Amino acid sequence: MKRMKKQGSVELNKKIQRQAGACLFPFIAVLLMFLVVPLVIMIRASFADADDTGWTVQNYLTIMTQPFYYEAFKNSFLISLASSLAGIILAMLVAQALVRSKQRVQDRMMLFINMTANFAGVPLAFAFIILVGNAGILTLMLSKIGIPLLNGFNLYSWQGLAVTYVYFQVPLGVLFLYPAFRGIDKRWKEAALLLGAGPAAFWLRVGLPHILPSVFGTFIILFANAMGTYETAYALVGSNINLVTTRIAALVSGDIFAQPQLGSAMAVLFAVMMIAIVIIDEYFLRLVRRDMK
Amino acid sequence: MRKSFSSSLILSLFVLLMCVPFLLTFVYSISTEWGKSILPTGLTLQWYEQLYADPRFIQSVVRSCLLTFGTLIAVLIIVVPSIVMISIYLPKAEKFMKPTVLMPYAIPGVVLATGLLRTYSGSPVPLTAVLSGGIFIYALPFMYQSIHNNLREVDAKTLMEASEILGASKLQAFVRLLLPNIKIGIMVGSLLTFSTFLGEFQITNMLLGGDFETIRIYMLRVMKINGHLSSAVVVTYFLLLLMISAVIVKATSRKSYKLMAGQEETTLSISEMKGSASNELLND
Repeated sequence: MKRMKKQGSVELNKKIQRQAGACLFPFIAVLLMFLVVPLVIMIRASFADADDTGWTVQNYLTIMTQPFYYEAFKNSFLISLASSLAGIILAMLVAQALVRSKQRVQDRMMLFINMTANFAGVPLAFAFIILVGNAGILTLMLSKIGIPLLNGFNLYSWQGLAVTYVYFQVPLGVLFLYPAFRGIDKRWKEAALLLGAGPAAFWLRVGLPHILPSVFGTFIILFANAMGTYETAYALVGSNINLVTTRIAALVSGDIFAQPQLGSAMAVLFAVMMIAIVIIDEYFLRLVRRDMK
Repeated sequence: MRKSFSSSLILSLFVLLMCVPFLLTFVYSISTEWGKSILPTGLTLQWYEQLYADPRFIQSVVRSCLLTFGTLIAVLIIVVPSIVMISIYLPKAEKFMKPTVLMPYAIPGVVLATGLLRTYSGSPVPLTAVLSGGIFIYALPFMYQSIHNNLREVDAKTLMEASEILGASKLQAFVRLLLPNIKIGIMVGSLLTFSTFLGEFQITNMLLGGDFETIRIYMLRVMKINGHLSSAVVVTYFLLLLMISAVIVKATSRKSYKLMAGQEETTLSISEMKGSASNELLND
């Protein structure tokens, strides 16, 4: 009797699961139509000839041998590295200052940081142009006073782009770092002090090991974020600076120089790279979680 | 004492630096001319007048709103029940949902747009529908993260079982009990999704460019013609963003809002959500 009942409930469970699965149908259809199928077709296109038939690895060879294409990867890499290094250092300073302030200040700051996270792309590029562009206000002021601070600084160069990126990297970094910095318990510090450790020893042996995985994980997120940035770069330098994102876009949807097969191959390489980055990041985030447990 | 001084100094400096572009854009939008001298030569509202009289601007706002709300409604109808189903009845499918949180990093917009363009350009499917489908995908991380957390908080499975024991059908239990309980999660997810959709640029520009001029595309076009006009667009865009966000928060009734989580906790959860979710990646 008991066994029968159990069997019945297993069958009931299966029925419920089937019903629940059926409810997912529209969701799965959307995923297939707008994510899975397009990605598969893109991968296929990356192995196609210029007339969209046959199988070839020529597109990949072209990207790896012609500077015009592989330098896009190099430029994106350099700008992302520079902006995420600066971003993570500044974000750590802000996060540390944040957890030291009053709870009310912390709450308000988090809302403020959320708001600033929306300030990216065209509006950000535009603000930087009127501030430090060729006819920017700061450029003008400094040249009137006679300080050559901005001499040699060009907003439309890769340094200018990196500086602009830092602006959205810092708030993003703070959002990711804040929980880890909050996790440093005051009592740990007191305990360490009681046991005779100075502040330096505390940070070296307790504080840093605690936040390090999350700092590294956040750094990788910032890096990935900068690599994927398109709008800010497009608005600021168009395609004057050869970046992965703007290059792919120009190859795929450009009017004159459209080479969709090459663009697809570049997009596939880019996606593989980004997925690898995300997997590394997951590894570090898991370290953090294990530490917390 | 010294400690708290140095941290408030860092925070004030940070806030100041973050506010500069906002303020600058605002002042630029109300000045007659700024560029030949250090201070603007005069103040005016002419740029706003000129902007609001431009039918192309109004059309771009309408287009952005249609795209944003059309897709958001589709997301709410299709994604919310799916996430609930998966969380309660299909724990095995859960592991396919988790990676979506990192998806905007793993599959940047430029990559998805490439795939979409290859698949649908020249097909009978209108590209505006494809655009809507593309941004739909990028709403998943926000929706999944916020609703999943909320479901765990209210112990959804027990709630559903309890209401069924009391004689409610599954649909009744879902609509009358579960939905009101995950209202905050849905609200937070919608808010993040909404601001991402309204600020969408990348996929729109790659798929349709000037053929479907949204606010962001209009902004960029005007930027190359008149800086003052363009800053008026930016200011209007942020006002719109703030206003509609406020309406979404208000629409989720205040009473239940306070009862269930307390206001402070809710605002905090919005910020934490952003930190842990994949954030505004479509925006930059």
